Amino acid sequence: MQMRHVSTNLRQGLRRNLSMHVAVVLTLFVSLSLAGMGVLLSKEANLITRALGNELQVQVNLCVRDYPGNPSCVGEVTDEQKREIVRQIEASPEVDSFYFESKEEGFERLKVLLGSEQFEGTTPLVTVKDIPEAIWITLKDPDESSGIVEALQYLDGVGNIQNARELIGPISSMIDGLTYATWALAAVLLAAAILLVANTIRLAALARRKEIEIMRLVGASRIFIALPFLLEALVNAAIGVALTGGVLAAFTKFGIIDGLDAQFDALPFIGWPEYWETLLLVAVAGPVLTLVPTLLLTRKYLRL
Amino acid sequence: MIRFEKVTKSYPGPGRAALESVSINVDKGEFVFLVGPSGSGKSTALRLVLREMRPTGGKVFVAGKEINRLATWKVPRLRRQIGTVFQDYRLLPTKTVSENVAFALQVIGASSKEIRTAVPETLELVGLADKSARMPEELSGGEQQRVAIARAMVNKPMILIADEPTGNLDPATSAGIMGLLDQINTAGTTVLMATHDYGVVDQMRKRVVELAEGRVVRDEATGVYGFQH
Repeated sequence: MQMRHVSTNLRQGLRRNLSMHVAVVLTLFVSLSLAGMGVLLSKEANLITRALGNELQVQVNLCVRDYPGNPSCVGEVTDEQKREIVRQIEASPEVDSFYFESKEEGFERLKVLLGSEQFEGTTPLVTVKDIPEAIWITLKDPDESSGIVEALQYLDGVGNIQNARELIGPISSMIDGLTYATWALAAVLLAAAILLVANTIRLAALARRKEIEIMRLVGASRIFIALPFLLEALVNAAIGVALTGGVLAAFTKFGIIDGLDAQFDALPFIGWPEYWETLLLVAVAGPVLTLVPTLLLTRKYLRL
Repeated sequence: MIRFEKVTKSYPGPGRAALESVSINVDKGEFVFLVGPSGSGKSTALRLVLREMRPTGGKVFVAGKEINRLATWKVPRLRRQIGTVFQDYRLLPTKTVSENVAFALQVIGASSKEIRTAVPETLELVGLADKSARMPEELSGGEQQRVAIARAMVNKPMILIADEPTGNLDPATSAGIMGLLDQINTAGTTVLMATHDYGVVDQMRKRVVELAEGRVVRDEATGVYGFQH
């Protein structure tokens, strides 16, 4: 295949419809950025859920020696107390499921939440033995937890009960709202980007109709005729993805790492690993979103 | 080389079929005029040979293959065996004469070496070797048609389809183009030419197939235009 011919056609195509290509790139860039932010926000929501539980969960911390704020905890929870607690949980119609979290597992979760550096060195914040064992209960309905809370809160061996909904409900709602809003905006803009791709192809096909007609008549293959259009779409996608990568990097660095993470110690925040995962998704989505419509529309407009 | 077996072609909407049960056989190396008034089905027949469309009924064979059953992805390969010339030349105005001819090879993936050899040879054949660097707008109608013929022939096709190639030319220039087509035919290429130009048909004395209202009404081995006389 004549690569020089293809590259000349590509250059001409990009120059001829420059304003349309700029419009495609900008729309793609903004929509991919919004979609990328949506992905980052949902990763943030997952991270918070992993660390603090989701809205359906109730955390029952069992007694340890000198449990802060609960003078009835005189020592470590006994096996008999645990059995009674489990019996109450199993008997409750509000409970969907539950599982035990050991001291070690709780310690690891706390390290994720607050940063492991606070638990190292000569004066750690707490040690494994200070962490209470816990039972994580998943409710059938987040609005119905009063029965199980009442049944457990005065039982021997129970240190305290944390209803995750009260703690993370407002944060989750905000993050969910932002996620859905960015995805909705991204979807609208992606639809605009696809329509722009369609218009670009139609204009290009019109501008090159004589050339395309001759190519068809002399027996150029379908892929050869469509190739300049596909390459133009790929160039648009590459620029759109590159710009999106920059914006998401700035969002991760200045908005999350240097912004929120530096100010709020009590919550875990996403960082560069989540950024790279999101960028990979964007790098796949960008070309797919331009190449698939191009493939379909070249068949239509070029009569291939 | 080209065979129509009871070919019918209808377009959507009311009205008679463009072609109705047409059977024609064109042997290898033949020169055949397809004549008839506007709307008689000449262009439809040529488009069927190029697999621009499929017949509604019957079979079309080109180079031994039934092309209405040909997979779409194989159509480009079929078209590489067929050169095509039109009344309006269809040259690319931004390319020089040699670039126009080379274009037909570039887009089918020919190597630069092949193109460097074939293009001057073909321009020599059509008598335009000295005008290879000219732009189409700098050429006369006859010269532009010669460039179009060169572009059709540069890939050395087995068949040349010509749709009214002398339609925009004066009689003297037409005679020159017909001489060139005759030369191409003598070298072994099968030529199928649709025309209204009774002057060239009468002068050439080749096989004439006449269509009227989508049907073959005459097929003579050395015919004249016929209904104009």
